[in-house]
Amino acid sequence: MAPVGPRSGDAIFSSIDRVNAELFMLTYGAIVRQLLTDLEEVEEVNKQLDQMGYNIGIRLIDEFLAKSGVSRCVDFKETAEMIAKVGFKMFLGVTASVSSWEADGTCCSIILEDNPLVDFVELPDTCQGLYYCNVLSGVIRGALEMVSMKTEVTWTRDVLRGDDAYELQVKLLKQVAEEYPYKDDE
Amino acid sequence: MIVCVSVVGHQNNPLYIQSFTDADDALKLHHIVHCSLDVIEERVNNPKKSGTTLNEAFLGLLYPTVNYKVYGYLTNTKVKFILVTTDLDVRDTDVRSFFRKFHAAYVDAVSNPFHVPGKKITSRTFAQTVSNIVGSYGLN
Repeated sequence: MAPVGPRSGDAIFSSIDRVNAELFMLTYGAIVRQLLTDLEEVEEVNKQLDQMGYNIGIRLIDEFLAKSGVSRCVDFKETAEMIAKVGFKMFLGVTASVSSWEADGTCCSIILEDNPLVDFVELPDTCQGLYYCNVLSGVIRGALEMVSMKTEVTWTRDVLRGDDAYELQVKLLKQVAEEYPYKDDE
Repeated sequence: MIVCVSVVGHQNNPLYIQSFTDADDALKLHHIVHCSLDVIEERVNNPKKSGTTLNEAFLGLLYPTVNYKVYGYLTNTKVKFILVTTDLDVRDTDVRSFFRKFHAAYVDAVSNPFHVPGKKITSRTFAQTVSNIVGSYGLN
């Protein structure tokens, strides 16, 4: 069977099963609320959301590669474009844009104009340090780690904290070479 | 001129009250809203036999006092919206569309995962939206 060529984010998004956005947003809100009740420390909740995102990301990457059929990315720039244009479109239905490339090409910003996770959400005064969408940073980190890239993902702008858009900074720490468990000469 | 809007929960606990004139005493407005709750109870428990359906959300003019008119709206979850206005001639359609927009804003505020149902509405967006709705009331 001939391999399926890479499809655009829109094409994939329209062909897969979808869920009601309000249900999704209310479910995620319930998760965050429960974490806040259980852990009580905002920093702990941030870490836990990141860890949850990481666990999602390591599994999501296979789904992404299978459905989108993209070939190997030549460099980190292409990877970032792929995440923003195809990945976010496919899973969240929003298109993100990539900007602010560092000179050495290892650090960039992904900007989301709108985010379905945070419709109707307002942070109460007791949780001002909370990164509500921290699960997204974990997802990107987990997914990239499965394709041999160690990255660090942080939020630089967050609408819930008063900025005008969501901006994630993705920094490539190193490319881990594939390790084989067997030595060559055995 | 809209003087005050209020949201009252199903146990008659106040969830939100906002007045739009500085001249009047906030306490007096609280009293007016409180008294109108009795009228709502009465309307709900003894439906008029003149043919209005039992599921009507808009309750209409609750009672006119000396200076004010009070309108009520009841949602299916027994949350009540009260509107106090000093206008002498008020069009029914204006008030109905006001309550519709108010209901939409209320639903958005309650969908916030950090809002506890039954507690006061502390959303700044809700306050802003309500001010906008009041500002655009009667301009069309």
